[in-house]
Amino acid sequence: MTREKVALAPHMPKCWNPDTKPHKFCPGCGHGLALKMLGEAIDELGIQDKVVFGCDIGCSLLAWDFFNVDSVQTHHGRTTPVITGIKRARPEIIGIAYMGDGGGYAIGAQHLVNSATRNEKVTAILINNTNYGMTGGQMAPTTLPGQKTETTPYGRDPKETGYPTLGPEMVAAIAREGAYVARGSISNLRQLKKYLKKAIQNQMDGNGFSFVEVLSSCPTNWRTNAEATWSFVEKDMAEYFHVGEFKVPGLKEEK
Amino acid sequence: MAEVAKKTALTQDGKKASFNLFPELCKGCGLCIQKCPVKIIVWSTDLGVYGTPAVCTNDQDKCIACKNCEMVCPDAAIRIVKTEEK
Repeated sequence: MTREKVALAPHMPKCWNPDTKPHKFCPGCGHGLALKMLGEAIDELGIQDKVVFGCDIGCSLLAWDFFNVDSVQTHHGRTTPVITGIKRARPEIIGIAYMGDGGGYAIGAQHLVNSATRNEKVTAILINNTNYGMTGGQMAPTTLPGQKTETTPYGRDPKETGYPTLGPEMVAAIAREGAYVARGSISNLRQLKKYLKKAIQNQMDGNGFSFVEVLSSCPTNWRTNAEATWSFVEKDMAEYFHVGEFKVPGLKEEK
Repeated sequence: MAEVAKKTALTQDGKKASFNLFPELCKGCGLCIQKCPVKIIVWSTDLGVYGTPAVCTNDQDKCIACKNCEMVCPDAAIRIVKTEEK
């Protein structure tokens, strides 16, 4: 098979920062896919100059130079309040809080819950990869029952450690009218992009809190090859975490 | 906005589309191999950015230009260019 060398521009979203590519995530990491869909959503909405992107501590902080947008890297779990503060000071910007399951469901759970309760007009995107990736794959609130991690070598026992957090269900239960809550997956990228676009659009319309959880992969800490990675995301995770929209704002009242 | 700078791509021409791989972006995760509906993507003898095998197709004429591989690549290392109809 002949392979010629040609000069060609890679097909990246326009708002990506091409100088920082290849990005810092592991091979096969779902962050790249989620951020690709987020980039395409930002491109299609044409809001690159208005977005303020905040990333949490954990693997998600590796996205600090990912986009050519204003970015801030916050304390662990405090991405939602930082973006909330920026949004309150400058209501014309579009605030996107990007976090992992540790930053959203563990140390940052209070902020996620309170922002949802207050119906802050920000967009929170949470990447669920069922473990703490950056520190070496310890058990997270989202680790599936029976799943082996560094700190649960015999599999997670729900009797001792409880059941995995169902974030979107929780946020949908406490959020008020006007909130948008959905769960997407990297196994269905077109649907994921639709959800992300709706979540950003919901903020632009001034309806309320928007929250999208993304089922993602972590081949490094799951110790899986590509085939097992896809099967874990598509079968094991999708079985417990149901993909879909949980709360969609109804038609806004005419002024 | 600055245009995305051109990079070196290894190209394989086929009937419907050409398969272009950027070795300096490919990390060799293999996600595309699993998602190809006609199963033509295989490990290549070329190396990616981490010195791991990159990917190529073993019969580019079978490619149906669905662009699944381009979509599931987290690093945008694959670009499918459709052959213009003659």
